Amino acid sequence: MSMLARIIGHMRPLRRQMALGLALSVTASLASFGLLFLSGWLLAAAAVAGLGGIAARNAFNLFLPAVGVRFFATMRILARYLERLVTHDATLRLIGRVRAWSISRLAPQAPALLARQRSGDMLFRFVSDTDRMGQFYLEVLVPVASAAICCVVFVAVMSAFSLSAALVLAVGLVLCGGVLPGVAGALSVHAMRRISRQQDTMHADLTEVLQGMGEFMFLGAGQAVQARIAARAADIRTERRRVALIEGGARSVMTVITMTSALGVLAMADMACRTGALSAACLPMLALGGLAAFDVLAPLPAAWPLLGQVHMAAGRVFALCDTPPSVVPPALTRCPDDPSCLSLSDIGLRYPGAERWALRHADLSVVRGERVALVGPSGAGKSTLVNLLFRFYDYQEGTARFGGVDLKDVDADIMARHVGVVAQDFHLFQGSIRRNLTIACPTATEDAMWQALRVARLHAFVQAEPAGLDTLIGEGGVRLSGGQARRLAVAQVVLRNPAWIILDEPTEGLDAGTEHDLMTALLSALSPRTTLVCITHNPAVAARMDRVVRVEGGRFHEAGRAP
Amino acid sequence: MDSPGNRTLMGFTRRIGLWLGAAVVLGGAAAVMLVLQLAVLARIVSDLAFHGHVVSDALAGLAMLLALLVVRVLLQWAADMVAGEGSLRLSTAIRSELLRHLFHVGPVGLAGQATGHMVTVLGDGISALEPYFTQYVPRAAMMVVLPLLVLGMVLHLDGWSFVILACTGPLIPVFMALVGYRAQAVMDRQWRQLLLLGSAFLDTLQGLTTLRLFGRARDAVTAVAGMADEYRATTMSVMKVAFLTSAVLEFFASLSIALVAVVFGARLLDGTADFQSAFLVLLLAPEYFMPLRAFSASYHARQNATAAMAGISQLFALPAATIRPDVRGSAANVPLISISCEDVTAGYQADAPVLLHAGCTFTRNALTVVTGESGVGKTTLIRLLLGLLPPMQGRVTAMDESGVLHACWQDRIGWVPQQPRLVHGTIAENLRLADPMADLEALRAVAAQADALSFIEALPQGFDTVVGERGAGLSGGQVQRLALARVLLRNPQVLILDEPTANLDPQGEQRVAAAIAHAAVGRIGIVVAHRPGMIARAARVVRLRDGQVFSGPHTVEHAA
Repeated sequence: MSMLARIIGHMRPLRRQMALGLALSVTASLASFGLLFLSGWLLAAAAVAGLGGIAARNAFNLFLPAVGVRFFATMRILARYLERLVTHDATLRLIGRVRAWSISRLAPQAPALLARQRSGDMLFRFVSDTDRMGQFYLEVLVPVASAAICCVVFVAVMSAFSLSAALVLAVGLVLCGGVLPGVAGALSVHAMRRISRQQDTMHADLTEVLQGMGEFMFLGAGQAVQARIAARAADIRTERRRVALIEGGARSVMTVITMTSALGVLAMADMACRTGALSAACLPMLALGGLAAFDVLAPLPAAWPLLGQVHMAAGRVFALCDTPPSVVPPALTRCPDDPSCLSLSDIGLRYPGAERWALRHADLSVVRGERVALVGPSGAGKSTLVNLLFRFYDYQEGTARFGGVDLKDVDADIMARHVGVVAQDFHLFQGSIRRNLTIACPTATEDAMWQALRVARLHAFVQAEPAGLDTLIGEGGVRLSGGQARRLAVAQVVLRNPAWIILDEPTEGLDAGTEHDLMTALLSALSPRTTLVCITHNPAVAARMDRVVRVEGGRFHEAGRAP
Repeated sequence: MDSPGNRTLMGFTRRIGLWLGAAVVLGGAAAVMLVLQLAVLARIVSDLAFHGHVVSDALAGLAMLLALLVVRVLLQWAADMVAGEGSLRLSTAIRSELLRHLFHVGPVGLAGQATGHMVTVLGDGISALEPYFTQYVPRAAMMVVLPLLVLGMVLHLDGWSFVILACTGPLIPVFMALVGYRAQAVMDRQWRQLLLLGSAFLDTLQGLTTLRLFGRARDAVTAVAGMADEYRATTMSVMKVAFLTSAVLEFFASLSIALVAVVFGARLLDGTADFQSAFLVLLLAPEYFMPLRAFSASYHARQNATAAMAGISQLFALPAATIRPDVRGSAANVPLISISCEDVTAGYQADAPVLLHAGCTFTRNALTVVTGESGVGKTTLIRLLLGLLPPMQGRVTAMDESGVLHACWQDRIGWVPQQPRLVHGTIAENLRLADPMADLEALRAVAAQADALSFIEALPQGFDTVVGERGAGLSGGQVQRLALARVLLRNPQVLILDEPTANLDPQGEQRVAAAIAHAAVGRIGIVVAHRPGMIARAARVVRLRDGQVFSGPHTVEHAA
């Protein structure tokens, strides 16, 4: 349950609002109970008075209970409405807090985290998991706490009339609200877990099938892959049927217990009547109260399974957020004095969990203003340079210095001031082109943005768009072509105007003409003092650099210096 | 089964009409039991309180009450199960129908659709329909059944209460609809922003590495908090109105119960009403409003289903492709010797064809490499050959050994796309997608042909190694060779490969190019490529430029 304790920890700053929401929920439920309880009494008492002759009739004050009934009715409406507003608002605040917190925890482990979770499903699930953690308050905590408080009040009210009736009610409430959902939950928990696993599998299968549709069609395997999906769906259906059976059974038993308890209350009250401890007018009231009390338990059957889901969701969220960053941040960061030269000597870097060294006994030195191409087979460790520089992954051997400072004393934020990177798997943010440029460089002027777009050979496209810089590019830049997206990423880095630029496959997805234009514009726009490192497969790009370094077998090999 | 029928929520509802009908009948029977049960309860309470009965006198009544209760509960359980089963069957059917439809649309028709979106529609989207069928529809029916039943009972008991309930009841849906429309209007106005803010968190998560590279990770925390707050404010402005619908419901329900109680109280005091009726009406009044409350609680089910339906209909509305490469041609299988494009104009918009009056011929035993700058129409040419894209003008034909021209020959193609897909499963399972009956010898033979045997056998589990997105990682070149082996299992007469060496290092490129050249012997081989390694293996090079095809023997100088 420590998961729940941690969620509750996140709720602490919102505790006043959350307590208010709970209080409103309790008020609404009590008013609802009061309405029926008092109505029952009103009818019975009026009937007794009506039977008792003129004197009793005149002595009976109908006015006061009538006011009470109206009061409870109004109270119920108001409290319920306010409760909804307050609890939903608090839930959304809680989700916001959890999300902001999780970003602060995930940011330091960013690329490593994403590398471990390739499929992208994980992020989708993370988003819904944080949602679920917020729902813990709305759909678990409030109903359960409110039910618990109300039940105590109901039993207390009942005990004022008959102790034994109160006891019967208490037993009924505990059975219905605690034992029954617990048992049903225990019965269905395994099925639920299997369903969630199978659904994940089905999503992954669907992704495979849709992405490979053309290929599967030509293989004549269209039917076969569809049958695979259908088989998954059938498994899920079986489990869902089982869960539905259990839930329906629990609901049924709950109804039976409710009615039996009400009858028990009635019987106990009747006995009290016989002994004269109660007036007959109280019987209908207590019977009605006995029935009405169970209304607060109605949301509980849904709350219990949700609790299990919250637990799982919180487990995943916390597990991810608690993963220590693969690199311990330096206790005291130092700024490189002269961010111009990089020297790596005898570097060994091995990714966590990997058997092979990505770099081993690697030496490289790059000085200010150099234009270096890094070439080599895929997977040879070319992109490792970025991971090393930004301290995304730690190196285990050797020394690395950037601008005279040991890399172990530098973190990503400092490095970002000096080095601009267009990563191979860059991300564009939803919103406008302007927003993406602003994220890269918050202080950029409009002129600077156009200049950067010009260098990246994207200005013609943006100018042609009616909205210009405010053109929306869609989620992850889907409204741009692959080449346009990459050029926007290049524009982002150009706008930042760093001392160093590292381009990872800058011309991937571009045709030869555009590729040539882009490299020409880029090389002429950069100040001669700017260092440029190009990671590329493309011989045409490599040929335009001063120096070619071949990465192979975990080492950097000087492959030639252009004339 | 293949008749599409009406693919709307209405149409789907009709399709499981029998199940839903049964659920409503069972639920209606349960409602009758409920009313009877309450009548018995009222009688027992009244007898105990006012007629001097003791519990032992009421035993018969109690037994009857319990019997009614048990029957009611079982009926309701059955009703829920029946509705659930109907909707489960329906959602499964819709899912396979939609998937089949997507296969009919084909990859070209789906090119504009993000895979993630389609997966969401097929998975969560279709699941979001289920509550509509299990909750919304039965509850909508119960909203008529139970109140009418209660109203009938109350009419029989007391005129005044009947008037109160009969007046307030119909008002509720009217007011709820009024408020509901207002909520919908607010919702529609905020929809765009809600959508944008709703996906902002995911967007930030996906871009965390980029943010770190920009040194903006710290700002992301405040940005996420700010966007979450904006999202909250927007959502609450919608909810404020939406919650009014339930407040209206509560208002009328509470008011009616209070009125019934007070009016009865006054008449009981006067001795003009009997307690048993009064108590029964008080018991029935909440049940009168209960279905409405349940119905309004499932309003979200409808909302979600309608939203999901939009996505589903959009996919169903995609037109099916005219050519179906997975349907086997009936022609006798005399081997093809050449494929010709004659005066072909093709593209995606009538006013902007990608290929214009292009002509070219591909022949057997002469590996042809198609090259040209990106966007020049290589993919269009391949789609044309694959039959995924019908030409606007001209024709694509194939000639077999006996000189017969074929228009439908696409089933003889073996195609390896730029990024071949492996399904989650063993290497053998992946190969057998092409031919489920192939034995291990056949698998080894094609693997050897595609130069994949050596690496497969070097794996600890060999052909039983699990691969795919969630399996062991193979290198890009290995995946290419595996995919090549897979198409060879169908012994295709035409072999088409799209950029097989684009993402490979020179060694991988050499190896894959050699394998392709080897596999293309005896077939019509067509390869789209840029890289010199692949071009060097070609017998002919076809260049695309300005929508035209320039072909010639392999003398064309070409730099990557």
